Amino acid sequence: MRKKKEKGLYLSDRPPLTPLKAVLLTISYILLFIYVFVILWPLAQIVFSSFNGSQDQYIRIGGTYEFSLKHFKYLFEETYFLNWVVNTIVIAVATALLTLLFVSFTGYAYSRYRFKGRKASLMAIMLIQTIPSFVGIVAYYTMHSIIAAVIPGFSRQMFLVLIYAGGGIASNTFILKGYIDSISTELDDAARIDGCGNLQVYRLIIMPIVRPMLAIIALWSFIGPFLDYMLPSILLSDPKQYTLATGLYTLITDVRNMHQPVFAAGGLLTALPIIILFIALQNQLVSGLASGAVKG
Amino acid sequence: MKIELNNIGKKYEGRENFTIRNIDLEIDDKDFCVILGPSGCGKSTLLRMIAGLTSITEGDLYFGGKRMNSVEPKDRDIAMVFQSYALYPHMTVYENMAFSLKMRKERKSVIHERVLEAAELLKITDYLYSKPSEISGGQRQRVALGRAIVRKAGVFLMDEPLSNLDAKLREHMRVELVRLHQSLDTTSIYVTHDQTEAMTMATKIVLLDQGKVQQVGPPTLFYEKPANLFVAGFIGSPTMNIFNGEIKEGNFHSLEEDFVIEPKESDRELLKPFEGKKVAMGIRSERFIAGEAEKNAINVKVDVIEMLGKEQLLYCQFPNGKECVISEPGYFEYAVDEDHNFHLDLDGLHFFDAETTERIN
Repeated sequence: MRKKKEKGLYLSDRPPLTPLKAVLLTISYILLFIYVFVILWPLAQIVFSSFNGSQDQYIRIGGTYEFSLKHFKYLFEETYFLNWVVNTIVIAVATALLTLLFVSFTGYAYSRYRFKGRKASLMAIMLIQTIPSFVGIVAYYTMHSIIAAVIPGFSRQMFLVLIYAGGGIASNTFILKGYIDSISTELDDAARIDGCGNLQVYRLIIMPIVRPMLAIIALWSFIGPFLDYMLPSILLSDPKQYTLATGLYTLITDVRNMHQPVFAAGGLLTALPIIILFIALQNQLVSGLASGAVKG
Repeated sequence: MKIELNNIGKKYEGRENFTIRNIDLEIDDKDFCVILGPSGCGKSTLLRMIAGLTSITEGDLYFGGKRMNSVEPKDRDIAMVFQSYALYPHMTVYENMAFSLKMRKERKSVIHERVLEAAELLKITDYLYSKPSEISGGQRQRVALGRAIVRKAGVFLMDEPLSNLDAKLREHMRVELVRLHQSLDTTSIYVTHDQTEAMTMATKIVLLDQGKVQQVGPPTLFYEKPANLFVAGFIGSPTMNIFNGEIKEGNFHSLEEDFVIEPKESDRELLKPFEGKKVAMGIRSERFIAGEAEKNAINVKVDVIEMLGKEQLLYCQFPNGKECVISEPGYFEYAVDEDHNFHLDLDGLHFFDAETTERIN
């Protein structure tokens, strides 16, 4: 009954469609569908191929399909895949933690304190970021050999963490500073009168408020090592030390050792840790944005 | 606690001039002191210096005889209410109020007791476990007050706490704040730019302008004997009418509006040194008496009438276009564009030196 009643009413907030507008709308939908297809098709191919037992060395589109886990088996038995996973996760976690720790300090300091060279150093950070990290490759080698000479246990992987974190700290300092800037300094004043020291003001008052932003920063710095191919491929020489990106790449570089479906399977598994972290942080990301509005 | 400011001054880094300078002030125990001034006069700076949130460039600050210049805010025995309330958004009302006590590592039972006590006083017990974002502006205001009350501090500082409330609630909170001040037995310092708040709440007003103290005293003194032209113009609503003129043979001759005033005897004495000099005369709107008179009379045209019920404000024009505001009882009948005669109440005249703007009588 009710549905029928509503059918005759025009309920949209927009003006009614004219024929011209209808055509334009159709075109934009078509474009959007093409866009979706372009993104989803390769992803679908990765999923299909990784489970397709009838493919060996190359991914072929079409052909027979036979469900099998043999590519995953190959990945775990014939390659150092587990090593790569562990390496990448260790590097990613270390990067994320290091970035969070330092960005907390720098973002808070740049937002709340006035000191000599504040503007200049902010500008410097911004300018230095425009230089790609690849340019520093010679410097990285030299720095690593100098540090390794003093601290023998200092591995290439640790150095990789420092490079990632260094880059992340610089860019995320800006983001966090901007976010903290939007918090009234009266909160700091109130906390100071209530008995907080500088670090307590950050830990007890500011940090809980900027938690959503910290979660995003953590997520980004965690994903970074998963995506980067270049730096580990240059800095790391032992296949056991490889990260996922460099490790998987060895499966598609050489004709004699070509395993494209295995590469696809590895790629699929690579997404897992990131998805898990995202789900874990999702609560943080959302709760910060909607706090107060949800609870009644 | 008695608060003394001794020649206090503040200069911000990177600024050429002192924001505020040479402030000497004594605030007695249990005073409700209102620091009043237009925006940008340095009143918030002064309060922040007393709170310890801003450093003191020169001079000394004493709390009960102890020098406080370099004491941390948390050790000054103060509580403060901020303009934006500054409630911690991630904590509940209860946690907000308990926070300062928690930082001092009070026992849980003591904290609970004090929070409930303050909550009952402010009637906020119903939403102690809500977040600040879930309660209304007026309720947040109360929580901010509650957070300050639980400290049981010797000095209560407030930085324009009512400016974010609507008019009705503000009126209500004014009374409540005074009541609170009396029940707490503390010294309160209250910063505002609203002269009504100052007049209604203060036991002592400090009027600041351009970083200098213009006048200090009880509200009645401000209304009846403003120390200079600035004070005269700032205090009172509607604003005091000011006329520029000259003293000739002991009488005040208006320069533009062409009327002559014969001041009363005591004023005459004081005006003697100003013979032939420029003088400004002020008169409040309620000191005009309706009707004709032989002396001290003016004739003006009613331009706009603001009917307030109890009284009406007549915005009148002199023949030369200069405006003045006259208030008369609401039951008198006036109409726009009518000419009317008024005469001036000689007891309600304020004379100021036109050069120094200082009060003469």
